[in-house]
Amino acid sequence: MATTVLLGPQRFMTTAGSTLRALEVQGPVATITAGWEEREDQDDELNQVLDGRGRNLRLYHRMFDVLDKDDGFAAAALAFRDRHDELQSFYRLRLDIAMQGVYAVQRRTSAHGTGAVALADAVEAVRRLDEWYSARLKDLYRELDAQTSAAESEVISWHRGELAGMLADSAALVITGGHVGTLLRALRLFALPIGEDLPVIAWSAGAMALTDKVVLFHDHAPQGSHEAEVYDRGLGRVPAVIALPHARRRLRLDDRSRCAVLARRFPHHRLVLLDDGTSVVFDGGGPRPGAEGGHAAYGALPHGVRVLTSDGVVQEVLAP
Amino acid sequence: MSERRMAINRLRERLPVDGAAVDRFVSRHGSPIVEGERATFLFRGEVDGVSVRHRVVGLPDPLEMRRLEGTDLWAASTVLPEGSRVEYQLETRRGEHHERFNDPLNPRVAHSPMGSSSVCAAVGYEVPEWVHHDPEARPGDLHEEVLRSKALRRDQSVHLYLPARFNRAMRYPLLVVHDGTDYLDFAAMRTVLDNLIHRLDIAPMVVAFVPPRDRLKEYPNHAPHARFIARELVPRLTEQLPLLDAPEGRCLMGSSFGGIASLSTAVRYPGLFGSLLLQSASLVFTDIGFEHGGGPYFDPVVKFVNRYRARPTRPVERMFMSCGTYEPLITPNRSMVSVFRSAGVTVNYAEARDGHNWENWRDRLRDGLSWVFPGPQKYVYE
Repeated sequence: MATTVLLGPQRFMTTAGSTLRALEVQGPVATITAGWEEREDQDDELNQVLDGRGRNLRLYHRMFDVLDKDDGFAAAALAFRDRHDELQSFYRLRLDIAMQGVYAVQRRTSAHGTGAVALADAVEAVRRLDEWYSARLKDLYRELDAQTSAAESEVISWHRGELAGMLADSAALVITGGHVGTLLRALRLFALPIGEDLPVIAWSAGAMALTDKVVLFHDHAPQGSHEAEVYDRGLGRVPAVIALPHARRRLRLDDRSRCAVLARRFPHHRLVLLDDGTSVVFDGGGPRPGAEGGHAAYGALPHGVRVLTSDGVVQEVLAP
Repeated sequence: MSERRMAINRLRERLPVDGAAVDRFVSRHGSPIVEGERATFLFRGEVDGVSVRHRVVGLPDPLEMRRLEGTDLWAASTVLPEGSRVEYQLETRRGEHHERFNDPLNPRVAHSPMGSSSVCAAVGYEVPEWVHHDPEARPGDLHEEVLRSKALRRDQSVHLYLPARFNRAMRYPLLVVHDGTDYLDFAAMRTVLDNLIHRLDIAPMVVAFVPPRDRLKEYPNHAPHARFIARELVPRLTEQLPLLDAPEGRCLMGSSFGGIASLSTAVRYPGLFGSLLLQSASLVFTDIGFEHGGGPYFDPVVKFVNRYRARPTRPVERMFMSCGTYEPLITPNRSMVSVFRSAGVTVNYAEARDGHNWENWRDRLRDGLSWVFPGPQKYVYE
């Protein structure tokens, strides 16, 4: 497996160029800026950072080309989105209430040890809810796939063919941040054949898309649900990791109890903080899942990476 | 700030002073002088009396000014808690002649359909930054359409706001705003929408700004108005635009009587709207008898609210309510929160140290709109 690098946000501290140069690859670099949505093509600055080697795959524009030209797919995609929206609204409703329960249990004093058991069970209930959502989403995808065969769509096939060619000619792939939902939709639609031998650099939403579980979070949004929520599966190139871009800005990291609950919801994943200047380099594949509830996977993460532990503290992974 | 250290009292201690000293004082401090939690209003002129006129519940109105002996400077001080914002005018008396006007020493003015008022902002109050034009925020489209309404038996103008990057392949929530043109003119709502959508604080949404014709008749629980909104406007917009066709995607909004119009429409058509955004709604009621003190225009309001309180229903799932703590409607609004909650409505209630005015309603838009239709901040990781 070629190198995969997850970077922190690139807005204030640009490290993508030096990261690419460190990989010592020659040739064009495929870029995915679909998360920027209609600003997808405004990639001059990115291209400069990549020493002028960038080749934008334009997945966002291609996605709208498909929606324009393939009525059957467009109708199915719209119906899927409506059903997904509804699923999310029920999930959020239940999640908010379940999390209120967790925090209430967490706050309650316990003189005889019942509190810890009650908290573990309350968190387990949230885990089951997360799993319920993921399972239902999987069903929705299955139903979508049954309705529409991407392989039978002329326009989708055409785009997929062209993208495969572009990727085959590329020495590396760069995936930027942006709207993670839009990015995942585009990646899924075109089923990019990202070969194991193709080095990948990604940041923010792009980094999230490379993992196998994308979790949305924002403790400081003005209103709405503030609880972290499972959104979708990513590409799974970096498994057993939940990427938390802008963690310092978006999470109340000083609220240890709250952070502990977040980490305990995902015992099979390492919660990796991707702040400005962060660079997580995976050589020869990503980390493997640890034992249930344990920390066995720590060693699989490069040392120096900052993770959120089940105690709710931020800890650097130490060298083995 | 102790009374003795206040600028006006320091000037009093120096009396008598000449006109030049008063000039320097006024020029240095302007009006009102805000010091800690005290505000001092000033006026200069040869009159028989001056008072500050305001509608702040709890403060004396009129607030009489006292003349500084031997000068033409008048002053009155009052308490003004941190974060407060008060709209006021001055009233002079010359013999039997009374005149009311904005404070000539205060350049800060707020506008409303009734005219303008001077503004006294306490320490801690700041105009939210998202109220001002942001050149980076892409503007939405605002255009006027005229609907023939059978319910109202007339043409009804509607100003439709479509968010920037409006795309027919997407689905948008719908917000229907009572007193629509006033929200545009006096609460900067177009700019606010552009900015909050740009900042991802609120979801991109379609907004129908609906102005009334005869507000005092159409807004307090008027069946034709409710029918127009529920049976004509919403179906037409749903047919014409890519809207989320579910109660969760529809919100009715209004302030003052517009709040009553929103609530009464939702009560008449339960389940059609998922949420209400009520700002200083005129939720006046009586607990015994019918003496409400609001005048005849409030009669249908009180009848409606009394009836609702007797048998509360759950016309919507969620309700954002806000009210100024300095307005007379604060008590009815506070009282109604528990009534709505007891009926099963999820209520988010916010108060501000402000009055019954458009800038108060403007300043609460971010909290209200982002709660009703939260923005996609959770999805965006740049």
